[in-house]
Amino acid sequence: MTSGPAGKVAKSVSLSCPSCGAPIDLRGYFHTVNVACAHCGAILDARTPTLTILQKFEKQTSIQPAIPLGSRGKLNGIDFEVIGYQLRQIVSDGVAYQWSEYLLFNPFQGYRYLTEYRGHWNFGRTLNALPAMQMGLRRTASVGAQVYRHFQTANAQTVYVLGEFPWQVRVGDEVSAADYVAAPFLLSSETTADEVVWSTAVYTDGRALWQAFQLPGSPPPVSGVYENQPSPYKGKVGSVWKTYFLLLIALIVAAIVLPTMINRNQKVFDRDYVFNGHPNGDSSFVTQPFELDGRTSSVEIKTITNLDNDWAYFHYALINQDTGHAFDFGREVSKFSDEGSKEDRVIVPSVASGKYYLRIEPEMDTNSPTLRFGRSLRYEVIVTRDPPVYWFFLVAFFLLLIPPIYVTIQAMKFEGARWAESDYGSGGSA
Amino acid sequence: MSSHPLFTLYGVLLLGAASIADYSGWSLSRINEVKNVPKSVRDNPGVYRSVYGMSPHYSGGK
Repeated sequence: MTSGPAGKVAKSVSLSCPSCGAPIDLRGYFHTVNVACAHCGAILDARTPTLTILQKFEKQTSIQPAIPLGSRGKLNGIDFEVIGYQLRQIVSDGVAYQWSEYLLFNPFQGYRYLTEYRGHWNFGRTLNALPAMQMGLRRTASVGAQVYRHFQTANAQTVYVLGEFPWQVRVGDEVSAADYVAAPFLLSSETTADEVVWSTAVYTDGRALWQAFQLPGSPPPVSGVYENQPSPYKGKVGSVWKTYFLLLIALIVAAIVLPTMINRNQKVFDRDYVFNGHPNGDSSFVTQPFELDGRTSSVEIKTITNLDNDWAYFHYALINQDTGHAFDFGREVSKFSDEGSKEDRVIVPSVASGKYYLRIEPEMDTNSPTLRFGRSLRYEVIVTRDPPVYWFFLVAFFLLLIPPIYVTIQAMKFEGARWAESDYGSGGSA
Repeated sequence: MSSHPLFTLYGVLLLGAASIADYSGWSLSRINEVKNVPKSVRDNPGVYRSVYGMSPHYSGGK
């Protein structure tokens, strides 16, 4: 398979299974301690010349690993051959969660591991040093500068083995497995009565593995969020809010500066009126004409009344004296103790220049308290040409919030899905 | 800002739309346009019939 320093090609050793007679290739040479026969499942002692049977059991099913034993591929620039396969599981709340572990071997580089759970792959190796542990509300472990957060501790059981292993392996082996995460990295410990084995792994794209091992088809489809899966939103939440604040500053500056530059905000008419009520007559009247000049733009008509616990309605028509083109609208002004306002403001859009007048027709209830005992409604009508209108900028402010809020929620949902499967999630045990 | 070009573009478009809306004087108010109002309205305002003249007006209060 692999060219060594001297350019020699390493070859496997062929033997026969003492249980069923099937041929067995030993690819791990003198490193191999146990080998599981691919045909009958018997676990054999590779250190004895006759391959003594260590464990023999009736194989219930024959599992075909997604990456077949003997597959060769280059990972991180190193050639590896798949020599062993384990199916392992943890049982939580009566549900068995199974994952695959592949043992990779290079005669000059040693062993590596590939694990796969629901299409999520990790490429790892054992650790030669102990991590620094920090106990607390949530445990952490450090390897160098990298800090890992405790994710889950559970009993893992081996339920199926295939190929060869540099350690004693049996179906039914059980270890206490703890995972610590710092996506895309994973730190794991496997504890038995005799030893603790630490390993690190990095989340790996299944398609890259299929390409590396030149496997036909495509890798198993990815399902769910895995414990050390890199978040697609990592780093985006902060930067999207930074972009938002820059745009917000631009929006505020525009809202302050633009109206002073583009809006004339010119008062063209201002008159006070009195309404005494006309129970049987016509209350309509017209104002003196006023000039609306400049470009086609909006006109604000403001009505200020002395209403108190009462209402009034105003029929308005802004009429072009020369063309007869009119803008017709009605406005209700109501002011009661804790609601409403004595004032009303309306924007008439896109009014061409010209000479205009207002037709005004106030209306009130004849029993209105404002009109009782000889009192009257007093109101002021103010017409302003091309006033600044800020609500567009207010709407833009809220619309501008949509992308950063969306990204933030998606990032939170991703992390929520990740930690939901941990000991600290809703279904966790910690 | 370059790390989110689509968001930046979206923000610039919003800013532009708000500026254009302000410049043009857009409004959501219910305004009816009426053509050819007779000149006699100036002398006799009662002949003009408001679009809202026949609808009930009072909607607030206690």
